[in-house]
Amino acid sequence: MRDTVDPEFAAYVDARQGRWLRTAYLVYGDLERAGEQLLHAFTRLSLRWGKVDDPDAYVLGILYQAALSRWSRAKVFEGEEDPVKTALAALSPQQRAVLVLLHFEELTEFETADALGMSHSAVHTNGMTALSRFRLELGTKDWRDVTRGDSR
Amino acid sequence: MRRQEVPVLLNQASDRLPEPDLADAAWEGGLAYRRRQRRSVIAGLIAMLLGVVIGVLVMTLGGGKNAFTPPDTTPSLPGSIPPAGQISGINYWNAPPAGSERFLDRVSTPLGDLLRIPDDAGDLKDNPMDRVAAVILSSQEGNYVPLFLSSDSHWAQAATELRPIATGQPLSSGAIAPNGKLVAFPQPGGVFVIDVSTADVRSIRLPSQDLRSVSWLENSTRLIISGPGSAYRIDVDLESAQQPVVGAVAVSNDAEDATAPYRLDGTAGQVALRQYAGGNGWVEVSNPRLPVSRWVGQTFAGSNLVARVFVANPLPQVPTVASRAQVVAAISALEPLEDRLLVLGETPAATPTPGRTSPDRIREPGCCSLLGWYDSQTALFQVTDWLLAWNLQSGQVRRVTELEVDGVAIGPGIRG
Repeated sequence: MRDTVDPEFAAYVDARQGRWLRTAYLVYGDLERAGEQLLHAFTRLSLRWGKVDDPDAYVLGILYQAALSRWSRAKVFEGEEDPVKTALAALSPQQRAVLVLLHFEELTEFETADALGMSHSAVHTNGMTALSRFRLELGTKDWRDVTRGDSR
Repeated sequence: MRRQEVPVLLNQASDRLPEPDLADAAWEGGLAYRRRQRRSVIAGLIAMLLGVVIGVLVMTLGGGKNAFTPPDTTPSLPGSIPPAGQISGINYWNAPPAGSERFLDRVSTPLGDLLRIPDDAGDLKDNPMDRVAAVILSSQEGNYVPLFLSSDSHWAQAATELRPIATGQPLSSGAIAPNGKLVAFPQPGGVFVIDVSTADVRSIRLPSQDLRSVSWLENSTRLIISGPGSAYRIDVDLESAQQPVVGAVAVSNDAEDATAPYRLDGTAGQVALRQYAGGNGWVEVSNPRLPVSRWVGQTFAGSNLVARVFVANPLPQVPTVASRAQVVAAISALEPLEDRLLVLGETPAATPTPGRTSPDRIREPGCCSLLGWYDSQTALFQVTDWLLAWNLQSGQVRRVTELEVDGVAIGPGIRG
């Protein structure tokens, strides 16, 4: 491992850090924590730089491990008044991660399952539930009406 | 809200974040992690090297009293009690004091906590049994009715009455055959044999009127019955209608001396372990040096160990004030080093008083006798109103049952 930053590594990080920081912020609901986790994921990548076949999958797999930890008691979007952030805060960590990766990061359900270490059916179920709840929190009275109206 | 609007909303919620610059920090973090990892590996190697060097130094230079030396004594079994000392070169243990029997650990047997005459014994013909655990006698108008306890804790009563013998109730400690099926009772002028698996009964007549003790040979087909000045061997076959073959056996003064396959007898200086040689006599196997004043009860053999209780001559190792110590002697027929003694002494006063030397409790001579073997290492013996078990390997004494009957004979069914 060279003492100065590998230019290819720097180019790789520069190209993705802005986008992934936003994704991590939406999942963790805390900018500082999102930054820490993203730095941790890039640090781990730097140790295996040049040896990993798919760096994106490697980083995403590390980035959201802490978000799905069942022992985590971190507050999400604490003190925020934005209705979208409040709606995200109402979701469970799994639902929030799946919703953000499917609709913001625009991954497929299979890619999301790989990144989060979940089964495809769990991603699908969490995605449907998260979307309904997200809509409900944003003002729709009954989420079943929303689902039916949306499917028509 | 439509599905397509979700990314737009999420985009709006995260659009004012500062632009991070993580490349340098991530690379630097990776380098620091590598350095820490390398330092840990080097520290581990140095520690291992130091351990090896210290080990080599201890092994090469640490001789003499600082060296690691293996213990020179064999580790004892968990829960085992070391012997209290030696009597005549034989290891001995002290039995728990009189009165403490109730608080000893218990050996669970078909006899239960308390052995007493049952209220609801069935007829032996209706309740035959494979192996007898114990036999007791119930007194009825001067005669006795035998009651049998099976290995599954059921009582049965034989439809026969036994007459008393010269010593009282006609029950000998060796009444039950090794196969657990045949039980013999000495009677005036004969012997009574009952097969508990069929309830068959046979009365065998003998020339002597005073017969007191029975002992079965290992094959459960031959019986030795003895009284003072007379002893006989009988081939028992309950299926045969003919009178069994009866032969005379060498006579001893003590009716309970005549036992098979071994007998322990003789007093101090002349104690002998003898093996029944068939025919009419015994051959001497060894002469254990035991301080015997007199023997009590019968001899029982379990595997290679032969045991009997004796009243001891005064023992310097176990001083007594008001009584003589009684000793359960377990003598090996093969290896003298396996000989063991269990001393039943006095219970000294709990609060010593100046000028008073009398003990709290004593055990009367003749209160204790051997009743058989639970297994090859555990002897069963009676001490006044208790049946106790002595494990010869661990030295532990445990209680089997409290006795509310005058006498009991133990059979192989006691192992359940």
